[in-house]
Amino acid sequence: MRSKLLAVVALLALVAMAVACAPPTPEKVVETVVVTKEVPVEVTKIVEVTKEVVKEVEKPRVEVRLSGWTASPEEENLLRASLYEFSLQHPDIVVKYEPITEAYWDKMLTMVSAGTEPDIYYMDIFQFPFYASKGVMLPLDDLMAKTGTKREDFIDTLIDAFTWEGKTYGIPKDFNTLALFYNKKMFADAGLAEPTDDWTWDDLKAAAKALSKPEENIYGFGVPPDPGRFPIFVFQNGGHIMTEDFSDTLLDSPEVIEAAEFYTSFRKEGIGAIPADVGVGWQGEAFGKGDFAMVLEGGWLIPYLTKQFPDTEFGAVMPPAGPKGEGNLIFTVAYVISKNCKNPEAAWEVINYLTGIENQTTVLRTGFALPSRKALLDDPYFDEHPVSATIFRGAEIGTPFMWGLHGSDVNEQMAKALERVYLEGVSCEEAFKEAAKNLREIFKE
Amino acid sequence: MSMRMRRQLSEWLTAYVFLSPYLFTFGVFTVFAVCRAFYLSFTKYDLFSPPQWVGLKNYILLFRKEEFIKHALPNTLKYVAGVVPTQTIISLIVAFALDQEIKFRRFFRTFFYVPSVTSSVVISLIFMWLFSKVGAVNYILGMLGLPSDINWLTSTTWALPTIMMVNIWSTIGTMMLIFLAALQDIPTEYYEAAMIDGASRFQIFLHVTIPLLRPAIFFVVTMGLIGCFQVFDQIYVMTAGGPLDSTLTIAYLVYKAAFRSTTPRVGYASAVAFVLAVMIFISTMIQRRIIEAEE
Repeated sequence: MRSKLLAVVALLALVAMAVACAPPTPEKVVETVVVTKEVPVEVTKIVEVTKEVVKEVEKPRVEVRLSGWTASPEEENLLRASLYEFSLQHPDIVVKYEPITEAYWDKMLTMVSAGTEPDIYYMDIFQFPFYASKGVMLPLDDLMAKTGTKREDFIDTLIDAFTWEGKTYGIPKDFNTLALFYNKKMFADAGLAEPTDDWTWDDLKAAAKALSKPEENIYGFGVPPDPGRFPIFVFQNGGHIMTEDFSDTLLDSPEVIEAAEFYTSFRKEGIGAIPADVGVGWQGEAFGKGDFAMVLEGGWLIPYLTKQFPDTEFGAVMPPAGPKGEGNLIFTVAYVISKNCKNPEAAWEVINYLTGIENQTTVLRTGFALPSRKALLDDPYFDEHPVSATIFRGAEIGTPFMWGLHGSDVNEQMAKALERVYLEGVSCEEAFKEAAKNLREIFKE
Repeated sequence: MSMRMRRQLSEWLTAYVFLSPYLFTFGVFTVFAVCRAFYLSFTKYDLFSPPQWVGLKNYILLFRKEEFIKHALPNTLKYVAGVVPTQTIISLIVAFALDQEIKFRRFFRTFFYVPSVTSSVVISLIFMWLFSKVGAVNYILGMLGLPSDINWLTSTTWALPTIMMVNIWSTIGTMMLIFLAALQDIPTEYYEAAMIDGASRFQIFLHVTIPLLRPAIFFVVTMGLIGCFQVFDQIYVMTAGGPLDSTLTIAYLVYKAAFRSTTPRVGYASAVAFVLAVMIFISTMIQRRIIEAEE
């Protein structure tokens, strides 16, 4: 008797759990009012006239799910404020903002694979080729035509980066490039003229030499084995990391090897160092502490320095030009719409607003990110913030940070090649030839 | 139905009703997942397109590629060979010491156990800071007159030993607890008999304590083996497999191939995971044979 009762209780508990886990059903209310009027007619016939009056049917509210990573609580609040403004202008579109706080790409991969991804999400240029080649995003050209949004409104290098086989798949929301940050005090103490946008590789070398004091663990230039920094030297030497169609690598080309020899020479000659040499995790921290006099970093360094190292006075110029001219890397993120989105027009309205000139101006004024619209090139914000202006101009001469479908392997081999030169004293030629060989094997798999 | 059959049936029903939540979870998240991973190990799968059957290609590839044969496999074996004996021996000695009637025994037991309940991520972060070029470890070495400018986590020779040290430190507590419990079970008469026979402290330890602890030692070594073969947390937080793959372990290779590649290689990752599972199974079997043979 007791065991039967227990069994029933357990079954009920299971059923209760199952019911509690069922998803809630949304409610939709549509009102129609029907009015009947009897009209007396002076004829033998009585005709009944029914007049149907449909009263103010509320446009069915459409729900759109938006997701992305959160760089900081302040940025998240800014986005929520933008979404609130949007909801006032579009009361029929409900945006459900579901930020992903960590392991964004791991979660995105599993969500898209299962078909449960949000309607709108962030797409980094680095991952874009894979997602585009698999056709999991919606082409935006038709939607853009409906609201009169033109590709030409956006900075060319950015909108082109998110184009695949002639179709636009993402609207860039912001971007970042690299600039040469320098410590004003260290330059003044050494009696050196501050860097300018006309600097070349030789100027950089000379300044690093003058500013280094290895005995005190102070170095002129940061040279981490980072695939997000080294490539600009390749571009400045007239080379590329991959072929144009990304089918083969150019890491064993003479332009790359020469660039590598220049880049690694700083540490070899004791006038440059990697962050671990001074016991920090990244060169931004070394710069803030005054261990590195110059570093190549992006706009993210600005809020970091103002918050962590407010006493460090810094300036920034375009990265020094190499033998074949200027070069830079563009890191950019776009809004994309999932192919499974049930309300693409509504999703497009959200993106159009968030990347519209009104919202981008607001974002620019907060200093969190650089806008992707050409129209904001002359915004007065840049007059008051010359460092941001420098980073903004980097987009004109920059190459998107993207190496095709095997981008992660390219990054890994580049980093390993530089590490081999630094840690095992291997020659640049040998290290990069091995990197290219490993990559070709991976491409064949 | 007879009374006896009805009672048995209702007992079975009760048992299965109570087991059903766990069986359901186990069935879906373990049995189904393992079977599907086994199937995926014979395919080329990038998560966005349906898996393509490729037969044994993944298994052949992983034995040919440098990253497994030259880095992940030797690193994992080195790690296991270094950590398992060390953590077993140290925790055994510590447990024996804390089984004695010494002052502040309770405090020391808590003190040694605290690392085991601390998040491995937090421990990794703290140790990254301690082992940095200008961190506490180098500072102490400098005071002792030893070379003090080693870059522990960016050195291809020292990165893996550093991670081994972190793991040994954080798991001694759990193992110590198991040994302490087993030590309580040894009747004091055995010790008294040995002392009457004139055995020294060390001889008692070697010839009375250790043989009686054999089941506990087997348990600790097995858990140690299984855990060490799958080491992942510290690699993920501290080195991401670097520098130059010197801390790349098999479990991290699985994660890297599946999630850190621009084009996910889930089929290959599944094959690596299965090879790891087979390795753990074989080593546990070998270990059991050794223990049983001695008895």
